[in-house]
Amino acid sequence: MTNAVAGLGLAPDAAMVTFPIEMFLPGSDISPVEARKRDFYDGLTRWRSAFAADGAAEAPMIRVQSASVEEAFSRANDLMLTNRWGDGLPLWPPTRERVDWILRGAAQPRGRRVGIFPPRGGVTTIETCAIALAMAGGRPEYLPVLIAAVDAFLDPESGSAQLQAASGSAFPVVIVNGPIGAQIRLNAGFGCLGPDPQRPAGASIGRALRLLQQNVGGALPGIGTMANYGGVRYTNVVFAEDEANLPMGWATHATERHAHAPGQNSISLAFANGATNIRRRGAKRETPEEDALQGMYRMADFMRVPNMPGLAGYEHGTPGILMIPGVVANTMAGLGWTKASIREFLWEHSRIPAEHLRRAGCPAWIEIDSSKVVRESIALDPWPITASPDNFIVVVAGGGHPTNSYWLQGYSPGVVGRVLELPSTFDALLAEAERDLGPVTPGPGGRPPR
Amino acid sequence: MSEDGDSRIIGPMVTLEFHDPSGAIEVKQHFAPRVTSLQGKRIGFVSNDQWQAFRMLPLLKKLLEADFPGIEVLPIDAFPQGNAVIGSEETAAQVKQSGVDAVVIGNAA
Repeated sequence: MTNAVAGLGLAPDAAMVTFPIEMFLPGSDISPVEARKRDFYDGLTRWRSAFAADGAAEAPMIRVQSASVEEAFSRANDLMLTNRWGDGLPLWPPTRERVDWILRGAAQPRGRRVGIFPPRGGVTTIETCAIALAMAGGRPEYLPVLIAAVDAFLDPESGSAQLQAASGSAFPVVIVNGPIGAQIRLNAGFGCLGPDPQRPAGASIGRALRLLQQNVGGALPGIGTMANYGGVRYTNVVFAEDEANLPMGWATHATERHAHAPGQNSISLAFANGATNIRRRGAKRETPEEDALQGMYRMADFMRVPNMPGLAGYEHGTPGILMIPGVVANTMAGLGWTKASIREFLWEHSRIPAEHLRRAGCPAWIEIDSSKVVRESIALDPWPITASPDNFIVVVAGGGHPTNSYWLQGYSPGVVGRVLELPSTFDALLAEAERDLGPVTPGPGGRPPR
Repeated sequence: MSEDGDSRIIGPMVTLEFHDPSGAIEVKQHFAPRVTSLQGKRIGFVSNDQWQAFRMLPLLKKLLEADFPGIEVLPIDAFPQGNAVIGSEETAAQVKQSGVDAVVIGNAA
């Protein structure tokens, strides 16, 4: 980490003595400490910060000139990569015109401050969000979701200050509830965690959030984030709960977790460090009851793992997000299952025998945790993977097919909800999107090029 | 920051002007002034007790004591240790109350 202190309001260049990672491993040769002792002494005596001024410095606009539009875009993309603002995929240069267009989706003034992005400490405003969304290929009607997600991300309860920098490869998961999901073409069905040309909102919003994490927050690999792998970070995870296929009597995630009113547009942000497909359906002649129960055991078995980063959310966060398709949810609801009974089952059947924890060295991690609840959980055998069944997130989402469910393993100190603010012109933005993108249609469809 | 076009190109130019996406940086708090010399000073360690700090910081303590006459280096465990506590206001208050002139914080990886 070379910029961790900036998020605390200090200058980004702390007096640090750095060594290759090998010296920090068990049994290492620590003689480099003696060889570099003058660096330590200088850090205490002679070092001076290069950042003397107070206040926020505004960056100037960037200009490229070329003989053709194609070459100008190419140069702009090269420049953004050399400035370490890109992710390797093509970026839309955030011109004034493009950013102003995106800002039509804001209910707040462009200069409204959302927060300070850790660890680098970049000031994040509504305009900063719009710039990232423009780069990510977004549209104005996506902006309310992005702003709410950023606001939730920067809430200390989310744990983002630690997770941005940590080695555990956490990625944000944004669950959207309310009519806005379908309105802005956020996917809740088939392939909802991947690309879909008819429902491109999730990719743009998640990519914009990642660009903010990197460009404003400084979470560059090996510099501002020590994530070993950094999976799922190109677009993070942004999807809508499939409210149209929610069984009768089942509350939405937003209502259950955040007490948001049904029908209210909102987001919920948690962090995950893994993504696993679970083959849930039976293979032979199971009865509906057997199919449901065997699927529940199989899902709990996937959760019964020593996810030590997950201790961060043991008390108040979540062990993970279970996504089940609407068709499965409705079958299970017909058999008497509810979201609450699913959570209870998972909590009970994902417990880990204490002997398995001991042989894997887990008690040491549990004993040094800052939470008393976590430390005291060591006495429980079998050990529950989270303090309460209520911590499990169960969301109805995914394609209308019964075979699989999906588990986003948690690394989430908190689960933060936000109600969306929409501009008064939101309906007009939706109409423009309909004109620009055409209707969402089932089947191969598509329209001829204009 | 700007990148001008190739001066050999003749004819109309396409100009793209766009925002720096990195956001402003605010410096709201300055680092503590450095001590002029380590001789005769009182030095502390704030340790998260991770990443071999239990070996590296005692070595640094020994080096400081050997190189600077009259220096007082507090024990490695003079202040609370561990990631869960070293960033707390309570630990900061203890450090201030101890009267140290400077502290070394470690280890991160």
